[in-house]
Amino acid sequence: MGLQGRRLAVFAAMLVAAALALLTVAVLVGSGGLDAQLIAQLRAPRVLAAAGVGALLALSGLAMQVLLRNPLADPYVLGTSGGASVGALLALAAGASLWIGAAAGALLAGMLLLSLARSALASSDDASARLILTGAMLAAVTGALATLLLTITPDERLRGAIFWLVGDLSGAQHGWVCLLAAMAFALALLARRRSIDRMMLGTEAAALLGEPVQRLRYELLVAASLAAGLAVATAGAIGFVGLVVPQLLRLVGVQRTRELAWMSPVSGAALLVGADLVARMVAVPMELPVGSVMALIGAPLFIAFLGRSAR
Amino acid sequence: MNAAPLIEARALTLSSAGRTLLRALSWQARVGERWCVIGRNAVGKSTLLRALAGLPVPQREGAVDWLGRPQAAWNPADAAAVRAFAPQQPSDRFPISVQRLLELAVCVPGGPSTGALLHALDAACLAERDVMQLSGGERQRVALAQCAAQGAPLMLLDEPIAFQDPAHQRLVARWLAGFGGRCLVFSAHDVNWIAGVATHVLALHGEGCWRAGPVAKMLSADNLEAVYGCRWRQTEGAWLVVD
Repeated sequence: MGLQGRRLAVFAAMLVAAALALLTVAVLVGSGGLDAQLIAQLRAPRVLAAAGVGALLALSGLAMQVLLRNPLADPYVLGTSGGASVGALLALAAGASLWIGAAAGALLAGMLLLSLARSALASSDDASARLILTGAMLAAVTGALATLLLTITPDERLRGAIFWLVGDLSGAQHGWVCLLAAMAFALALLARRRSIDRMMLGTEAAALLGEPVQRLRYELLVAASLAAGLAVATAGAIGFVGLVVPQLLRLVGVQRTRELAWMSPVSGAALLVGADLVARMVAVPMELPVGSVMALIGAPLFIAFLGRSAR
Repeated sequence: MNAAPLIEARALTLSSAGRTLLRALSWQARVGERWCVIGRNAVGKSTLLRALAGLPVPQREGAVDWLGRPQAAWNPADAAAVRAFAPQQPSDRFPISVQRLLELAVCVPGGPSTGALLHALDAACLAERDVMQLSGGERQRVALAQCAAQGAPLMLLDEPIAFQDPAHQRLVARWLAGFGGRCLVFSAHDVNWIAGVATHVLALHGEGCWRAGPVAKMLSADNLEAVYGCRWRQTEGAWLVVD
């Protein structure tokens, strides 16, 4: 049974309070202590970027799950983030805009996945495994391409391999751009909440109920790709936020787009801020890439969810 | 009978993988009629229902009109107010409560409440349950309630009693017979159940052949043998297969 009424309100309040508390702690805690200048110039922008990227990735995952009708979809697992990395690296090599390259790469990878998985999506039987495997192969290819590009691009022109392959928030800028984009994304989802709830019933079911299914799918694909592209351009390819966040919310009993559309970005922001806090603090004075921390949290959860969905 | 029929097939031909399922179906159904599509396994009953619902099928020619207008001329939202379709087995991927599912299905406001619909199908106790945790029979009754909740006058149902126990088969029969103001087209295999529910029968004989007519005329020993390929006799009002 889904969360409703008073229990839903209590959960929402707890979620917001926890996210705000985590944000505060992340800004105040660090190896440099409580130095005002350090906080203003380094830590706050980094926490802001973590929150923005986390929110974007959670929304991207949510949109891809509806689009592909698969609760295990995630931009990193299915190669969309990898496509963004490749696009950004190509843009850097060509001297073009990083954001545009990442967005174009993500969109291309998303379209490729959609066309490769078309037959799997069209069949009404359970095609989850085929879709996930197709996406995993796409992720492998984009990962290989990114590695290739990293080896042939001169060092001084790009950020390190870790940034592009695993994701890293040190030195991340423009967090507020990500936050604004996430807000716009969430509002666009909220405006279509009934249609998106119906899309979750199935493409055919939604079409029978009068939804303009094709248009909705294109909108979801473009929004999910742009969000993943922006996230990758800001913090590299961080995985599993988009998978873990909506899935955990559903396990708690949040089922409607009305709530998922805002709780996902809030939880995603909190999750990535928390993961980055761990990455910064667990091996002081060294810093770990936040992407590997997220993968260590996310991959086991993915396997656990896979077990649940197989039942 | 003044207005156009609710649904009319004009020279509808369906085929799949080089095999003709249905050839030149010319047929119509009106409000108040309950049509049962009968035929052997794989003869094309589901494909026909999908085509009548305007869903993609492997290959089709000819036309289907709703209220005198070709399917293709309807925009999706208006079509949803005219026809509803209940698949045999909905595939669920995301958790959703039964109550919420029925709320999402409403396309024509002002119909019976979701509570009343569920109650009529012995599913009132399922309202708060997650659709993914229902048994096959429960899930199917919820799908039937969803189809009715949409509010469309044309209801297409693919084997509505496939997963029902005998008591619930009778319940579904009474429930279907209660839709006097709508037009129902469904498929089924139980001849005695069909005799108690349907007003008309559309029989698919295979190889594209078909016959349509009132139930009393269509359910005869000769016709049933032509459809199913086995011999039938009627004893005390019940149809039996003769070994």
